[in-house]
Amino acid sequence: MEQLFDISLLNSTVRMVTPILLAALGGALCARVGLFNVGLEGLVLIGAFAAIVGNHFTGSLLLAILLAVLCVVLFSLLFAYMAINLKANEIVVGIALNFLAVGLTTFALRTIFEVKGAFYDKNMDGLPSLTLPLIDQIPVVGPIVSGHSPLVYFTFLLVVLMHIYLFKTVSGFRLLATGENPIAAQSMGVKVRRVQYLAVVLCGVFCGLAGAQLSLGQVTMFAEGMTAGRGFIALVAMMLGQSNPSGVMAASLLFGFMDALSIRLQGFSIPTHFTLMLPYVMTIVAMFLFRDKSYLQLAQRGGGSDR
Amino acid sequence: MNNREWATSLLHPLVAVLVGLLAGAFAIWVVGASVIETYAEMWKGAFGSFYFATNTLTRATPIMLAGLGVALAFRAGFFNLGAEGQMVLGAVAAALTALYLPGPGWLKLAAALFAGFLVGGLWSAVAGWLDAAFKLNLLITTLLMNYIAILFAGYLVTEPFKDTTGSAAIAQTPMIDRAAWLPKLFSGMSLHAGFLIAAVAALLLYIIIRHSAFGYEVRMFGYNPSFAAYGGIVRTRVMLISMLASGGLAGLAGTVEVLGMQYRYIDGALTVPGYAWTGLMACLLANSHPLGTALASLLLAALQTGAMGVERNTEVPLEIASVIQAVLILFVSAKFSYSFWKRRKARESHGTTV
Amino acid sequence: MTVLLEMEGITKLYGTFAANRQVSFTLHRGEIHAIVGENGAGKTTLMRILYGMEQPTSGTIRINGEVKQFADPADAIKSGIGMVHQHFMLFPSFTVAENIVISREPTRGVWFDRDEAAARVRELSERYRMAVDPYKKIWECSLGMQQRVEILKVLYHGADIIILDEPTAVLTPLEVKELLETLKNLAAQGKSVILITHKLHEVMEVADRITVLRSGQVTGTLRAKETNVEELSRLMVGREIAEMQRREQKQGDVVLAVDDLFIRGDGGKPLLDGISFRVHAGEIVGIAGVSGNGQSELIQAITGLRPVDGGSVRLLDHPVTNAPVRTIRRLGLAHIPEDRYLWGAAKDGSIVENAILHQYGERSYSRFGFLLQRRLRELTENWVKQFAVKTNSLFEKAQHLSGGNLQKLIVAREIGQNTPFLLAAEPTRGVDIGAMEFIHAQLLKKRERGDAILLVSSELSEVMTLSDRILVMYEGKIVGEVDGREATEEAISLLMAGGGAR
Repeated sequence: MEQLFDISLLNSTVRMVTPILLAALGGALCARVGLFNVGLEGLVLIGAFAAIVGNHFTGSLLLAILLAVLCVVLFSLLFAYMAINLKANEIVVGIALNFLAVGLTTFALRTIFEVKGAFYDKNMDGLPSLTLPLIDQIPVVGPIVSGHSPLVYFTFLLVVLMHIYLFKTVSGFRLLATGENPIAAQSMGVKVRRVQYLAVVLCGVFCGLAGAQLSLGQVTMFAEGMTAGRGFIALVAMMLGQSNPSGVMAASLLFGFMDALSIRLQGFSIPTHFTLMLPYVMTIVAMFLFRDKSYLQLAQRGGGSDR
Repeated sequence: MNNREWATSLLHPLVAVLVGLLAGAFAIWVVGASVIETYAEMWKGAFGSFYFATNTLTRATPIMLAGLGVALAFRAGFFNLGAEGQMVLGAVAAALTALYLPGPGWLKLAAALFAGFLVGGLWSAVAGWLDAAFKLNLLITTLLMNYIAILFAGYLVTEPFKDTTGSAAIAQTPMIDRAAWLPKLFSGMSLHAGFLIAAVAALLLYIIIRHSAFGYEVRMFGYNPSFAAYGGIVRTRVMLISMLASGGLAGLAGTVEVLGMQYRYIDGALTVPGYAWTGLMACLLANSHPLGTALASLLLAALQTGAMGVERNTEVPLEIASVIQAVLILFVSAKFSYSFWKRRKARESHGTTV
Repeated sequence: MTVLLEMEGITKLYGTFAANRQVSFTLHRGEIHAIVGENGAGKTTLMRILYGMEQPTSGTIRINGEVKQFADPADAIKSGIGMVHQHFMLFPSFTVAENIVISREPTRGVWFDRDEAAARVRELSERYRMAVDPYKKIWECSLGMQQRVEILKVLYHGADIIILDEPTAVLTPLEVKELLETLKNLAAQGKSVILITHKLHEVMEVADRITVLRSGQVTGTLRAKETNVEELSRLMVGREIAEMQRREQKQGDVVLAVDDLFIRGDGGKPLLDGISFRVHAGEIVGIAGVSGNGQSELIQAITGLRPVDGGSVRLLDHPVTNAPVRTIRRLGLAHIPEDRYLWGAAKDGSIVENAILHQYGERSYSRFGFLLQRRLRELTENWVKQFAVKTNSLFEKAQHLSGGNLQKLIVAREIGQNTPFLLAAEPTRGVDIGAMEFIHAQLLKKRERGDAILLVSSELSEVMTLSDRILVMYEGKIVGEVDGREATEEAISLLMAGGGAR
């Protein structure tokens, strides 16, 4: 058993949690303005693909990340337009967005790279891992915290920034107001649509980064459907964290740990099918253990009847 | 429904199809192929000959059944997104039943169909039960249970029930006894009796939803759960029954594919073509109307078989179909004409004081 | 007195229907001007036009002699107009101060200065003598306090003209009194107040002038000193209101027996606290009370929609405590729900689908689990005819019916069950006077047939016209019982405010 739980498991947890946490933070912003964004999965997938395209053609990691963010923002604008302006059911739009992401990425994979299934180019560089000076000297903490891609550090910084934004700034206050009671916000002259767009676009930025971390930070490749339900797990993390940045982080860490554990367990004599199942099973178990009325309300509003 | 509502409810998917084809044309143009030629190839690939047309119907069969399952759940207001997992478990259960149940072929066939329906249905009902008893969000649980079901089925055919006779590389069960196969409808064609099952299911579901007491409960629940509760319709009952039937239909989708096409359960053979998700799309396209879902399944199946023709004869890849489908679904969810209609109606009924 | 606001020749057409026709209205500085009229008379439309939520088809608005056009509420707010909506526009999880300063928040750079906000609110609350606690969360505040927050919000945003839409509907009599004092005080400090209401006594007490609307037109603008309630109601309705005939009747056996009913609340306070009463055959028992004092919970407990934590309900001597809805209905319950859109109807369903909710499973209307559509249609047709529900087709969606017609359909469905017991909750909320008289007559008819009716209504006049006995609810308890013939508004109001003997 000493091989199962060790420091490198926690290190990979920090790495695995990043895409989930980013997407969950994005989802939380949408939830805070009253939009239940089921399309996270697709947005992250588009981000992952765009990042690989950017990296392959420009050779620059920065441009790759920028392209990922740009593409995903574009698609989240589509979500916003459908859900806000055309009043389409946001769940249906989210589902359709996931289809679109799968369709477009496989189509583009065929037409751009002329491969099926997955694209891998050994000349591509992934995101560099930063060794934090001083901190990496600390025993236990050092090896866990140090040696990650810049996106990982940025993500945890983002949790703090988002907390400050939501609860300390005027703009954040209006965003919360919009979600709490859009009609009242509107009647006080808050530009509700503008605030909703802002949230959705930010969500797009986060999901773009999540995608980049997924395809460049962990494996430096793109595979069809490589998000493998992480967007949906992010959705659960958002619900369990009640759309509070710190709560979302805690829930995401739990799921990231499960992700890391499921990979670690592959070395043991358990059928891989069951180790791969672990994150999904644990997510349902977590939903069961952390049942709470406040997130149910949102979920019910979003997931309830639409006709 | 009066005439004008009929017209809008039909107009809507038609506009969406048009937008989808336009988006497809754009994608074809980007690839640098001729739009007209490509669409001509697509038509030929889907309906160009009797062979291709029956091929399209074959592909539509599991899509239809899965779509009908989703439609039933959606009508009751339950977002069952677990059709894929329900289909896979149903398929594996049917394959194992047909393989290991002793007895004559017809018994194996009947038992396999029943087992496929039951296992798919029970798996779906578990999600319904989690919602009814513990208020776990159905949309999320059904989604997550897909992954669990697919991995579990994959385990069954890589470990305990793996076919060890043939090439060892493929994870699949041994082949089912020929006597338990669903018969082909035309010799030399792929179309099998599963299509008839799907067609009958569509008709039955239409009649049940529209004319039965249970169908009334389902509809009222979908319209307004509080109203249904006020009238004494019990949520748990409606939820469990409709989820059971919904998952059962998805399970049946996998079952007929196993018994009519592949004659064994092959890992990934149901998930890679995305039958269940296409069924969900068909249901969305038809706004959960059973007969409409059947029609939309045909349309989407034609899109896919057509795209295969496109890939054979042009340089446009077959994934063009997924792009067209996705855009089509995205646009069918928008309510332009509907919201316009509502606004006008509100004015007519002088929406003064609230 | 100087004229502050003029609305001239305002017409608002929805299709061919005129919600307002050539309405003219002036408001002086420091004046309280009431607009009265029944539901659907066009009061709210007029105010929505003034507040920029609707655009008039024709007519002009002048403020201080200057012609104004308001594209949205933000424009109206800039011109010094503020509105307190009937349904409060507040953020329950935010503090009082946050609710007041929203969209004009005090800032330091990009930061929201919450302490400054609280300081400003405190100052405002002292100047206008309206006590609020800036740091309290809205959901912890009483409705009266929430209303003060609404008014302070309007003042904070610089309003000189304050529109209040039915402000007293949710208040206890004591809070009403405070509100009226506040309004007088505001007028004295130079603010102008437009008060929309249909409660004439309040109007007579506080208003300087009164404009009466009927069917979208002004039927008179009067000085409060020179008119009286009788004249106003004549102008409002356009005819004398028929006096309800209530025949004397012998009390029958007990139909509904409620004993010591108890429902726990989220906080420490129970939602229902030891409710006991009887309803006999042939009588209407009214339950009066300011809404939110446990009436909804009582209704849901009796009808099986909400489990109770203690006590018992018996219907015709059968125990039905925490029984399923169907069981209670089969034993003899019909129920007009308090919110027709939430409970009473499926908006997307057809009229037939809405009508057959209690019949679809019965043996005479279904066979082998399938509906006998023709019989169900005939049943619906009967009800629609008997209750004069105006509709083009039985297959029209319920959402296309007007509020009054939908309510008539619901009443038809419930009275059509011919049950010995009817629970009628807010049976005439938001319907016009014609539909109201009709529904009242139907309820009395049912009483004459010897059935028992429990009437729950926040409209005191409704309870007083119809009931043989009146129970008053306050904070989850029954705080008093009054005989229907001897009841006075004053006595009941006192009980409603919790001022009675307990």
